[in-house]
Amino acid sequence: MWIITCRRLKKDRRGISNIIVVALSLVIILAIVSNIVLWNYEMNQVDWEKMRESVVIRDVERGSGSQFTFENDGGLTVHLVSLWIINSTDRQRYDISVIINSAETKNYIRGDISLPEGNYTVKAVTERGNIAVYFGS
Amino acid sequence: MRKIARNRKGITPVLSSLLMTVIAVAGMSLAITATYVITDGLHDNMGERLIVEDVSFTSDQISLYLRNVGKVSVNIDAVYVNRTSQSFNALELEQGKHGYLNVTYGWSADSTYEIKVVTRRGTNIVDYYMSPS
Repeated sequence: MWIITCRRLKKDRRGISNIIVVALSLVIILAIVSNIVLWNYEMNQVDWEKMRESVVIRDVERGSGSQFTFENDGGLTVHLVSLWIINSTDRQRYDISVIINSAETKNYIRGDISLPEGNYTVKAVTERGNIAVYFGS
Repeated sequence: MRKIARNRKGITPVLSSLLMTVIAVAGMSLAITATYVITDGLHDNMGERLIVEDVSFTSDQISLYLRNVGKVSVNIDAVYVNRTSQSFNALELEQGKHGYLNVTYGWSADSTYEIKVVTRRGTNIVDYYMSPS
């Protein structure tokens, strides 16, 4: 009985194309969904890392140039990429590349940056898009 | 040899199979292209991230310093100041790049402005900025 049924199934080709169509459609749908889900996961990771990042400008000192003290009190390594020195009449932007590990405090000295007289603002921008602000005078 | 050349039996099934194969391949390539286009568009939409590093007010101009912190390049499509569209210099930022977006606008001192930057893919960033006195 079992052998007869198997033979009949082997010879019966009806419905094969339907199965192929469904299988191919499933492959395409799976490709779309997995692609979107993976990308979404990656971007969520980016946003989550940005939220976890925390950097503070502890101190800014005049010397031969300027010394900036950055503190990373977040859980991730921070990469500072941009520094702004702003006062009421001028705003200067400098490209920097400072990497600060988690819970580390780092001094950054720049001979070519002179702090303005009076009140000023220092902004440090991280690679992930966070901004630390310091008000000095 | 002549017998084979004259024998036309079985040609129709071969032709029909060939046609079916061509149609199936064309259909699959269409489906794959559509899949690529759909996922690529969604990819790009989800991967856009933009920040405003700084805003400065100069004579009849507001300058925004933008940084692309996303995973795809960004094209600025519109800028609104207090919900009114303004003219600006064309700006395209590749991944990790930064630059000035100059918006032509006659601002007044000591006023707060709502500035909204919209990208070509529809991502927008909006914030309030105070003009100097």
